[in-house]
Formats: sequence, C-alpha cells, structure tokens
Amino acid sequence: MTLSRRKFLAVGTSAAAAAAAGLTGCGSRSSLGGSNELSMWTWVGSVNDDLISQAEKAIPGYDGMKLAMTRIGTNYKTKVLTALAGKSLVPDIVAINDDVATYFPNADQFHDLFELGAKDLEKDFLPWKWKLGITPENKMMAYPMDTGPTALFYRTDIFTKAGVDIDPAAVAGLAPDWDAYIELGKKLKQAVPGSAITDNIQGVYDYRMAQQPKRYMTADGQYIGDQEHVRQSFDLAVRVVKEGLSANAQNSSDKNAVVTNGKLVAYNAAVWWAQLGPKNAAPKTKGLWRVTAAPGGAGNRGGSFLGITKYCKNPEAAFAFISWLESAKNQAQAFLDPVLFPSTPAAYTDPTLTAPDPFFGGQRIVDVFAESAKKYPGAYFSPYDSIIGTPIGKELVNIEASGKDPDLAWSDAQRQIERELTRAGAI
Amino acid sequence: MAVTSKTAPAAVTATATTADKPPNKFKQALPQYAAVSPFFILFAIFGAFPVLFSIWISFHSWDGIGEMTWVGLEQYNYLLSDATFWKAIGNTLIIWVLSTVPMLLLALVIANALHNATRFRTFYRVAYFIPNVTSVVAITLVFGSIFSNNFGLLNAFLQSIGLGQVEWLTQPWGIKIAIATIITWRWVGYNAIIYLAGLQAISADVYEAAKVDGASSRQTFWRITVPMMRPVILFTAVTSTIGGLQIFTESRVLFGDTNNIGGPGDAGLTIVSYLYQSAFITNQFGYGAAIGWALFVLIVLFSIINWRLIGGNDDERLTRRAARRVERRIAAQNAKKTAEKTAAAKETADVR
Repeated sequence: MTLSRRKFLAVGTSAAAAAAAGLTGCGSRSSLGGSNELSMWTWVGSVNDDLISQAEKAIPGYDGMKLAMTRIGTNYKTKVLTALAGKSLVPDIVAINDDVATYFPNADQFHDLFELGAKDLEKDFLPWKWKLGITPENKMMAYPMDTGPTALFYRTDIFTKAGVDIDPAAVAGLAPDWDAYIELGKKLKQAVPGSAITDNIQGVYDYRMAQQPKRYMTADGQYIGDQEHVRQSFDLAVRVVKEGLSANAQNSSDKNAVVTNGKLVAYNAAVWWAQLGPKNAAPKTKGLWRVTAAPGGAGNRGGSFLGITKYCKNPEAAFAFISWLESAKNQAQAFLDPVLFPSTPAAYTDPTLTAPDPFFGGQRIVDVFAESAKKYPGAYFSPYDSIIGTPIGKELVNIEASGKDPDLAWSDAQRQIERELTRAGAI
Repeated sequence: MAVTSKTAPAAVTATATTADKPPNKFKQALPQYAAVSPFFILFAIFGAFPVLFSIWISFHSWDGIGEMTWVGLEQYNYLLSDATFWKAIGNTLIIWVLSTVPMLLLALVIANALHNATRFRTFYRVAYFIPNVTSVVAITLVFGSIFSNNFGLLNAFLQSIGLGQVEWLTQPWGIKIAIATIITWRWVGYNAIIYLAGLQAISADVYEAAKVDGASSRQTFWRITVPMMRPVILFTAVTSTIGGLQIFTESRVLFGDTNNIGGPGDAGLTIVSYLYQSAFITNQFGYGAAIGWALFVLIVLFSIINWRLIGGNDDERLTRRAARRVERRIAAQNAKKTAEKTAAAKETADVR
C-alpha cells in the first residue's frame, strides 16, 4: 500500500504541529539569519545604501562574515520590541532612534560596547553624542550614528522684501536670542502679512528645549520638568503664538503646506529639516534659503544609534562592522545620500560635506551645523523623557488650537506628568 | 465509554456482549479530527492565544522587553480614573453618532432609490459600493487635503462663497465632523447594498395589498417597508456600532505624524487610538490590553442596547405584544361591563 489518505492526513497534521511549534520558537535563543551573516534592522533612510551593499558582500576588515540588512517600514520600534520579547530570531544589530534612553532599563538585552573595545574610538566622536548611548550604570549600550544640530533657516526673498540684510552673519547678529528673533518676526510680518517664524507652537518649544543643557530629569532620577528652564521654554512658545508668529500647522500636510506657500519665512530647526522641509515640500524655492546660527544658541534634536543585541552570534564582527560604518569617512558619505549629519567632527571638513549647496544659494551649510554640533552643551535624556514631553506638547497644542489659558495648561500638564511618572514608578 | 474500554476485562465483555459497538470511538474518529485540526491549531495559535495573553498582560506592567511585573487590577484601576480614557470614549461616541445616524438614514434612502431605479441599476450599485473597497488610508489622505486648514478645498470653497474659513483640523468639533464625514462616505454604500437586499426580500404581494387598500407611498414606507426591514436595520445598526467603536485609521492618518495621534486637544482620540498610543507609542502593553478589554465590554454593552432598542426576537415579541394587547382589551371590556353592571344595579337600586 502506498500513501493512503489517512497516512497523508497524519503526516500533514504532524507537519502543521511542527510548524506551529517552530513559530512559537520554544526555548531556542538564536539570532536572525545564517551563521555567516549578521542580521541588521533599520528604518528607511537611516544608512547609506552603497556602504551597506559593500558590507553585504563582506564586512570590511572581518573576513568570513557578511551583512544581511532589512529595512523595517513603519512601527519600527514595535517590531524590534516584539523580536526582543520573543527572545529568538532577534537581529544581531538594531538601529535605535533618539529615544535611546527608553531602552536603558533593558540594557541587559544589549552587549556592552565598552567590552568590545569602544573606548578607543571615543575621541573620534562628539563628546555629548557619545554620552547619550551610555547608561547611568556606565554601560555603553548604543553606538552613535548621526546627529541633529539645529540652526536658523530663512527665506532670503522675504527678508529682502522686509528690508533685512540677508547675509547669514548679519542675520545671526540681528537675532542672537529669542527676544530679538521675535522682534525680527514682527518686522517680517509687517512687511509681508501672514509671515510666520514657526510652523506651530510645539516647534518653538521643542527647539528651545533642544538648546537647554538639562531636560526633564537628572541623571540620578530627580524630576526637574517643572523647573524654570522648562517653564521658560513653555512661555516662550506661548509668546510666539500670542504675537501671531506661528503658522498653526498641526499635521504633516499642513506643515508642508506652510513651507510650499511661503508662509513659513524662517524656522529654527534641525539639520534634517532641510530635506524634510524645503527640499521636499517646496523644491521651487531652490536658492532662496539660507542657514545661520540659531537664536538662543546651539542645539540638537534627533540623531540615531546602533546597538548589538545579546543574541548576536558574533559580537566582535558586529562591532567591527558598526565602527566601520560610523567612521568619519563613511559618515561623510552618509551625509550625501540620506542626509545624515555626522557625529564625527573629522567628517565636517570632508570635501563631500563642504561642497556648496545650490539649494541654499551655494552656501556651505555644513559650517553652520558643524558649529552648532560642536557648541551644543549636551543634556541628559532619561528613559521617561517621552512620557514627560507628551503631556506638555499636548497642552501647548491646546493653547494654540483652542485658546486654552497657558497657566491652566501648564498645571494640567504637570498633573498628568505626575500621574504618569507615578505609574511608571519613576517618582 | 472511554473508561470501560480502557480496562481490558470490561472491553472484552463489551465486545462480547455488543458486537456492533466499536472498541474505541476516538481512535476511529482520529482521521476526521486530524482533517479538521489545521483550523483549530492555527486558531489556537493566532486567535485564542493572543486573546488569552492579552488578559494575562492586562494584569501586568510591561514595557515590551524586560520582565513583566504583576500589578493585579492596577491597570483597570488607573483606567477608571484616567481622564484621557474617558475623553476617548466620549470622542468615539460623538463620532459614532455623527457618522452612523446620517449614514444609515442616507443608506435607506439610497437603497429605496436603487430599488425603484429602472435604468443602470448595476452601475449605481457598483458606484455606491466603490468607496467601501477603497483603501481607508488613501481616502483619509484625500479628505485630509479637503479639510486642511491651510490649503483645503472645503475652505477654499467656503471662502469663495463668502462664508470664511473653518479650522477643520484644529477645532474639536471640526475634527470630529471631518472624521465622521470620512466614515459616512466610506460605509454608506455598503449599508445601502445590504438594505437593498432586504428590500428585495419583501414580497410584492404586501405592497400590492397596500395599494389595493389605498395606502400612500409614505404610509407604505413607514408601515410596511421599515417594519419588514427591521432585522436588516438591526444588523446594520449592530455592525456599525462595532465598527464605530473601533474607529482608528481615520484619526491615525489625519494626525499621524506626531506622537499625539488624537490631533489637537485630543479631539480626535478614539478608544482604539488610545489603545494604540498606550501600547505601541508609550510601550505600556499592560495598559493597552486593559483598554482593549474595556472596549470589549463597551461593545457588548452597546450591542445589547441596540438589540433591545431596535430588534430582539421579533416574531416572539410581536406576538407577545399582540397577546398583551388582546388581554388588555378584554380586561378593559370586562371592566366596562362590570362598571355598567354596577351602574345599572345602582340605578335600579336608586329607582327602588
């Protein structure tokens, strides 16, 4: 007798059961990918394609291993957390966004990069950026990728109309701090009605906070989000709105619209905004933009990291790869393609970065951002920063969108933060 | 049966006494069980396990990576005193009413028109159904540009007729109306097709009888069409309640670029948005699961209310009501009779 129907069903069932068992992955603690390849997860636009395809053939300086990279689309963090929660088929290397501190309570899921020899490379990086990947227990969990230094973007054609000198140095001199910047904004608005110097209230708050040497918590776990430096940023954002200098654009299509229709004439933003803002939303304004030092000093918003998970099949090879990928020379190359601003100061003089940018009228914009990146004082990011920042941001929107009383909004935000922090066990 | 067949002597006696009884029914049925097992195995993994697991994590505090810590009913406790959660429920209900009521009324009108249409019937049916098969994300993006504050078509139109502009996507009511419009537009055709099927199931005899009796078209609609459509209306009401309580994509896409997915002032934050925000943006998986279960309770509650309001076991209820009515009438008649009798008795007594 050959294959009977019964036998076929029995085989089929056991195969299904085996597949089911395989899916749940009982007990196996392995990383994703073949034994001679390192798997890496990242989101779209976070690494340079040429460098990756080079490593996909063979990881430079490490024979016998190659890279297998997957670009995870949306919900990147959720997918990474899901993989880590499953404890198997976890990628060897994961990209981590600027919320790196939220991973710190689970730093045991990652290799300590100090143990893999990271200390020797510290001198190549911006000191404040380097510090951001180190946990309070002095374990290096994340290796620096790009940064997000801030500067003032402005439209020369509108400035000319308002009779303001468009030379970057002159603009920087005209608006050294936020008070002067608001005065400048009023002048622009008088000359060109409808002009705004921020897309919305949160833009001011976020970029003011990005200049502060401290944020919401101290390194030893004290909550300082109700103190003067936060309240001052909050009040500043409210003031810009009260002066009528905000474009009140609350969602992404509106944010693009105010760039396209020329309402947003100046914006204190991070380097990546050059691509996301004017270059994408308003390609016709090519040549009309300039960049100069931001009012209120150097700042940083955004920037990402790389971590090696504890499931990694070959941590030495993984470290060799990430230190190669984030070398000054390769970071300079990554600036060209997905516009990632290097965290290695040596890259700032690389000819690929110092080339004049025709979109900014041939200005060497890297000089402005490099200055900002070097001068930025650095600040401690706690694991709870995002749950503290969210209520404040929401209340700011309430002030702008529905005219909520700022004092009430502030106290509501603080009450909500206290609730959230108590629940999270932070205070 | 299973117990007796396990013990050898009993099995022997069993086979001896009743020869036609199989020794082990389960063993015999094994191929059948095997044949239907793929569904149950897959369901257990992808259906039952996640549901049970979500109950389990709703009693825990978990950030998605590290150890889960048991907190008992703490998540539910927090939920009850969480103003944002109640706001999300309020928003969901407002958006649900704003979308479902016009949607079902419109659907009934459209279905009636389709039913009576004589030309291009299939074309109209397809035309009304198309919004339902279009991607929600695409629809929302289009509506987003219609309602947009800075470049919206609607505002451009309102301005051109001198009505000024409304900040649709920043004002609390504007946001809700925008979301409700998207939902109505998407589901009205779907419900119309279901109503149409219901209409076509009503026998023509009833209408002919009504015509013979001289009923006007309005009378026919309210006295015949609507009562006979009741089960269909109940079905659409229940499905739109469940759908309406799960509104998510519209506000997610309209305000998708920030962490604040409810839009300005959380005016577009629905229960599912809040679930998503808690679980996948702030990584409080236990809390997200608790919200999910609260939503489950809410849906059950609303389905029961709907059932009671619109439907129920129709025939039984109608007959029961008719029986009660007859009883009442008989009782009234009896009361009248006794009253008359006593009055007559009184009268005769008075005369005497």
